[in-house]
Amino acid sequence: MFEHVVIGQYLPGRSYLHKMDARSKLASVFLLIIIVFMTNTWAGYGLLWAGAVLVYLLSGVSFRYIRKGMFPIFLLIIFTFILHALFTQEGDVLVSVGVFTLYEGGVEQGLFIAFRLLLLVFFTSLLTLTTSPIDLTDALEQIFTPLKRFGVPAHEIALMMSIAIRFIPTLLQETEKIIKAQSARGADFSKGTWKERSQAFVALLVPLFVRAFKRAEDLAFAMEARGYNGGEGRTKLRKLTWTLRDSAACAAVVIFGICLFFFRS
Amino acid sequence: MKLKPLDMVLVALFAALMGIGANITAYLVIGGVPITLQPIIAMLAGSLLGSRLGALAMVVYMLTGLVGIPVFAEFSGGLRALVSPTFGFILSFILTAYLTGKIIEHKQNPTLPTFFIASFIGLAVNYLIGTHYMYYAYLWIAEAPEGFTYSMVWAWMIFPLIKDIIFTALAAAAAPKLYRLICRNSTYTQQRTA
Repeated sequence: MFEHVVIGQYLPGRSYLHKMDARSKLASVFLLIIIVFMTNTWAGYGLLWAGAVLVYLLSGVSFRYIRKGMFPIFLLIIFTFILHALFTQEGDVLVSVGVFTLYEGGVEQGLFIAFRLLLLVFFTSLLTLTTSPIDLTDALEQIFTPLKRFGVPAHEIALMMSIAIRFIPTLLQETEKIIKAQSARGADFSKGTWKERSQAFVALLVPLFVRAFKRAEDLAFAMEARGYNGGEGRTKLRKLTWTLRDSAACAAVVIFGICLFFFRS
Repeated sequence: MKLKPLDMVLVALFAALMGIGANITAYLVIGGVPITLQPIIAMLAGSLLGSRLGALAMVVYMLTGLVGIPVFAEFSGGLRALVSPTFGFILSFILTAYLTGKIIEHKQNPTLPTFFIASFIGLAVNYLIGTHYMYYAYLWIAEAPEGFTYSMVWAWMIFPLIKDIIFTALAAAAAPKLYRLICRNSTYTQQRTA
C-alpha cells in the first residue's frame, strides 16, 4: 500500500532558483509570506501575481507539479470562497436564490482571500520543489546554530531529521511484515467488532514498537562504535555557499516588498 | 542540552513513527480533517521517552515535514503546510508529548490509571490548541466573515474527537505493557537508571 508514494517533493534541476543557496531561499520565502499578508489592494495583488509569474519562469518547474501541490489546498480555497460569498453582506445584490443571496462585496472578498491563499501556497511549494530536503536541513542547522547558547541542539536536530527520514521506509517495511505475520496468526485488521479490531490494533502496535526500539538501539551502538561524539569539529562533504545570485535575489524581494508597501490602502 | 547517540536515534525513531501513524489510515478524511494515529504516537513518545525527548521528537517531526518529506497526514509535506488551518495540531503534538511525559515521570511506578490520566490530558491539550489554531487560522488567514462561529469549529471536530478518544483509550491500555517490555528488554533504561 506504500509503494507508490514518492518520498519528497524535490525536483532536481539547474535553474536560477535551483542554484540559489537554501538559506537565501528560506529568507526570501518568509519575506514573501509577510508581503502577501501585507497586501490589501487589487493593484498590489496584480503586482504580486506578476512577481509570482517571474519567479515561476526562473524556477524552470513544470506547471504540472505546481498544480499537483496546489490540489489539497484547493478545497480550502473553494470552501473559504463559498463562506465569504454567502456570509459577507456588502455592496449590491448579484443573485438571489431562495434563502441565499449573493452580494458583490462577498464575491470580491472571497476572490481576495482565494488569491491570497493561492499565492501563499505557490511561494511555499516552489521552495520545496526546488530545494532538496538535505539542503534545507543543512540550512536549518546553520540558521539555528546561533541559538546554541540558549540550549538549542542545532546540529543534533539536523542529524535526527536525517535519521528520521532514513527510518521511514524501514519502519513501513516492518509494519507490513507485522501485519502479514499477525494476519497469518488470525488477526483481522479490516473487519470484526470494535473489540476484535482493537485487539488487532494492539497486536500491531506492540511488536512494531519492540522491533523499532531494537533497530534504534542497533543504530546507536553502531554510532558509538564509530566514535560519534556530537557536532564539535565535524566537517561536511557538501557546503552551502552564498553567492552574488543570493544577495541579488534577497535584495530584489526586499525592494519588491517596499514597492508593494506603497500600494496598501 | 546534551544528547547521547541513543537518545538521538530514539527521537528520530518517534519522528518517523509519527510520519507513519499520520498515513497508516490515509485517505480517510472527514470534513477537511484527516483521521490519523498521530495523537497516540505523540502520547506514546511522551510516555516512553520522557517529556524532554518526547517533545524533541515532535519538533523533529514538524521540521522533517516542513522541509518537504511527506510525513504529514495525507502524505503532504513542505512549507505550504504552514498555510493549512490544521497546522495547529502538528504544533500541539509538542506540548502533548511533553505533558504526557511529565505526568508519567512524576510517578515512581506508573500504573494503568496514570497512563490513562496522562494520555487524556495529552489529548485534551492536542484538541484545545489544534482547534483554536484552526479557528484563528480561518479568522486571520482566510478572514472568515460573521457567519463563521466558534462553535462551528468544534462541531467540525466531533468526528475525529470520538475516534481519538477511542484510540487514546487503546493506546493508554497498551502503554504499560510497552513501557515494561521496553524497560525490561533494552539497555536504554538500564543506561538511564545507571
